[in-house]
Amino acid sequence: MKVSIQREFNAAVTICARDVLRFVRDWKNSLLFSFFFPVAFLAILGGTIGQNMGAGLGYDYMQFALLGTVANLLVQFTMMGVTSLIEERENGFTQEIFVSPVSRYSILFGKILGGSLTSAVSLIALFTVSFAIGIPLSLAGIGCILLVTPVLFLLGGAMGVLLSGIFGSSPKAVDRATIMVMFPQMFLSGALIPVKNSTGVLSVLVHLMPATYLVDLLRGVFYQGTPAYGQVVLYNPIFDLIISLAIAIVFLVAGTYLFVRSERNR
Amino acid sequence: MLRTALVDARQDYEPVIHVENLVKRYRHSETAAVDGLSFDVRPGEFFALLGPNGAGKTTTISILTTTLAKTSGTVNIGGYDLDRQAKDVRQSIGIIFQNPSLDLNLTAEENIRFHVSLYGIYGYRPSYSMMPRSYRERVMELAQVLGFAGEIFKPVKTFSGGMKRKLEIVRSLMHDPKILFLDEPTQGLDAVSRASLWDYLQKVHREKKTTIFLTTHYIVEAEGADRVCIVNRGRMLFSGSPEAMKSPMVGKYLLLDAENRDSLRSELTGFGPELMEDGRLKVRFSESTPQDILSQIKTPLSFMCLHEPTLEEAYIELVSNGHEEEEVS
Repeated sequence: MKVSIQREFNAAVTICARDVLRFVRDWKNSLLFSFFFPVAFLAILGGTIGQNMGAGLGYDYMQFALLGTVANLLVQFTMMGVTSLIEERENGFTQEIFVSPVSRYSILFGKILGGSLTSAVSLIALFTVSFAIGIPLSLAGIGCILLVTPVLFLLGGAMGVLLSGIFGSSPKAVDRATIMVMFPQMFLSGALIPVKNSTGVLSVLVHLMPATYLVDLLRGVFYQGTPAYGQVVLYNPIFDLIISLAIAIVFLVAGTYLFVRSERNR
Repeated sequence: MLRTALVDARQDYEPVIHVENLVKRYRHSETAAVDGLSFDVRPGEFFALLGPNGAGKTTTISILTTTLAKTSGTVNIGGYDLDRQAKDVRQSIGIIFQNPSLDLNLTAEENIRFHVSLYGIYGYRPSYSMMPRSYRERVMELAQVLGFAGEIFKPVKTFSGGMKRKLEIVRSLMHDPKILFLDEPTQGLDAVSRASLWDYLQKVHREKKTTIFLTTHYIVEAEGADRVCIVNRGRMLFSGSPEAMKSPMVGKYLLLDAENRDSLRSELTGFGPELMEDGRLKVRFSESTPQDILSQIKTPLSFMCLHEPTLEEAYIELVSNGHEEEEVS
């Protein structure tokens, strides 16, 4: 039993290590990809909103946007790390992974680990862009962000597992679904645009987005004890944490079940 | 002693692959891709599954290698039940896929290292130098045997098609599988690379006694098989040795010609072998030997060619007849 668990863990580490090594080996593209989204979403989109609509909010808009971008990008990159399993299943080394004597749970766990570690590079990119454009960020603030990142990786990985389970038989469908999940999360989770006063259908959609609770959790921890807390935070961080973990567990269980089933029942 | 001998004998004859009444019907498909296939493969056998496109070869190999669920039937691989012991089945087989399964951005050694770590032979270490000595020695030995010791630490994308295929075979043998599944392994390779790859595979088969399960469109590659199984539209058309497949279907014949063709024709007609005129004189023989025929000819020959049937001819005849029968019925 102990040997079996050790072996499965070793397999998951191997799968994770491969993702990290590929990321490092292809460092030019990896760095370009890691910096592109922080620049596009935070510096350009966030910067434009901040300059034109950020005045008189009562809090630093760019800091607000940084936290939203951190939560969204880490979730999305981890999710994409997991769904790459489906995108490359017909070609390359992934075929080898599927026929190895490794449980499907370990494969998914390894992909979540790999996706988390490679998406962590985008966190460094986000901090670099923040310093470059003058967003106030203290060491304590960085500590708060790092404290919440495991939850971001977990929910991002769980979303990737669910998408892989639902669209497991079609790499193209996974690709499209990833994009269709990514953009609504970005715009409806309150990452760049405040959603505190949303009403009607938009309010329902805001509350259906898993990233809403992650963004709010991150801001809840970051702004704890500051005057801006009441203006930017929706719920108590404990509530956000419980909801995020609950969604992650449901997505992981359902996604793994669908993935294992769809993988062989073609 | 006798008991041990009996156990050994039983193990020799106990099939390493047992397939009984295998059926696979894909979702939203009216016909079965595999329709009641049954066969056994003995330990150490070189078994070739042949058939035209859409015959069900890849579906069968996908089921046997656990990547596709069957609709019904019984499959036992290496003594393990496919449904209940899929993980044990995976541990006891090696696979060369139709599409290359190497990570082109990694080096040859890294590809091997990831394989052995996934199969639990060695714990994963982030560099070659940190791997155990036994691993390092084995990798170097294999690289030397295959002639790419100098390239073992280079990215696989710099390798030729033949080298990549050989690397895949080496990698798939690292966990000492009982059975090696080869799904069209030479697809896309040039003639020289194909020949070199088969030399290596024959060596592996001979020395390691690994059971080989092959699917291919190059019928000539199955000439050396112990047994061939021909499938079409999911059903078995033939199962037996290549010799058994060739002998009843395509006759052996001599192609003869002479300056004085009329004299040669009347001579041949005189002693009665089956004679056809096909540009030259085509003399079929089955019981007699070519020498029996040649020794009776007095007319000076200007051309002589002995034709032995190939597996490919037998295959084409078998598959074409199968089609015709289906069309008639």
